[in-house]
Amino acid sequence: MAMAALRREGRRFAPLISPRPITAVRSSPIAPSHEDECPIGVRYISTQVVRNRMKSVKNIQKITKAMKMVAASKLRAVQTKAENSRGLWQPFTALLGDLPSVDVKKSVVVTISSDKGLCGGINSTSVKISKGIHKLNSGPEKETQYVILGEKAKAQLIRDSKKDIELIITELQKNPLNYTQVSVLADEILKNVEFDALRIVFNKFHSVVSFVPTVSTVLSPEIVEREAESGGKLGDLDNYEVEGGETKGEILQNLAEFQFSCVMFNAVLENACSEQGARMSAMDSSSRNAGDMLDRLTLTYNRTRQASITTELIEIISGASALEG
Amino acid sequence: MVIVPATTGQMGVLPGHVATIAELKPGVLSVHEGNETTKYFVSSGFVFIHANSFADIIAVEAVPLDQIDANLVQKGLVEFTQKLSSATTDLEKAEAQIGIDVHSALNSALTG
Repeated sequence: MAMAALRREGRRFAPLISPRPITAVRSSPIAPSHEDECPIGVRYISTQVVRNRMKSVKNIQKITKAMKMVAASKLRAVQTKAENSRGLWQPFTALLGDLPSVDVKKSVVVTISSDKGLCGGINSTSVKISKGIHKLNSGPEKETQYVILGEKAKAQLIRDSKKDIELIITELQKNPLNYTQVSVLADEILKNVEFDALRIVFNKFHSVVSFVPTVSTVLSPEIVEREAESGGKLGDLDNYEVEGGETKGEILQNLAEFQFSCVMFNAVLENACSEQGARMSAMDSSSRNAGDMLDRLTLTYNRTRQASITTELIEIISGASALEG
Repeated sequence: MVIVPATTGQMGVLPGHVATIAELKPGVLSVHEGNETTKYFVSSGFVFIHANSFADIIAVEAVPLDQIDANLVQKGLVEFTQKLSSATTDLEKAEAQIGIDVHSALNSALTG
């Protein structure tokens, strides 16, 4: 029965092992084995397998605990930046509003994800929402393209939507994030992709345990004009006098580009925060699981040890009584 | 009251200003609160003045004037003037011109 329990645990254990292959673990049945440490003639049950298992589980516990602390310290560093960057896009939303329901012909979905894994489900939720938006926006005359930031979304989206991907950008977090880097990125996207509306999908950081997938919409200047004329939320835009520049269109163009880079900056920072927070909680639950597993293994180990001692005693005693009687 | 360096010149904004969207050029932004004035150097950006007497100023970079190093400003100005004279393509010329604009604005901010 102990063996069956261990084999079950072995299978559940496998996904946790994958980042650091520990090849010492084999769920072989604990039968009387001739493998090790027994002088010839003595049979006893080997505790070696359980001991190996315990050692690797303990290592995993230490590793995941360390990863959690690293994620916590990285989170602290990015969090202040992210909160400060929130003020960057708020004036734009105050002026232009955020209209996810706007009806456009060509929309581009910018999916922001992480490069590294082990961060819980945040990348999958972003990809799910991106695919949902794609579906929402498909129809006659409407098309959606993807711009992907980060390895994880690339891996998931490249499988079924390969033809819809315009641009893939990875290794964003090699250097600490700053506005210059993001504005260069925004520039690249604006140059290479034509769009009516840009929808940026990212995980907004509310607290260490809550990350909400969000979509921010940035409209191209032509659509802004169209919406302003048709009234509705942007109708007030015409009330604003536009200073400088030759035409209102020029100013709106600059405005839209600036808005995009500000929103991107905030989105990338928030996603980084969410990634670290998700990694913290994932590593925390993993080290707790490892601790539980270690307790169970210790019990099994003791049972096996005691059983082998008892067997040895029985053999000795029955041998001795056979000699006497 | 706030004085912003718009592309059309220095613009003073008081409560009750007409709703405006203005683009900013590199220059000095001064915030007058009562008798105190705080000055910042703004590299560029936008100012939105809403009809309810709220103004939003969004700048790419904004530095308080006392944190600017005059020597580096001079060096930058010289460097970009050199770049302009040795520039070949339109893009290089435009970039060098932008550098000159920003640095001369910095210069006048420090002196003026």
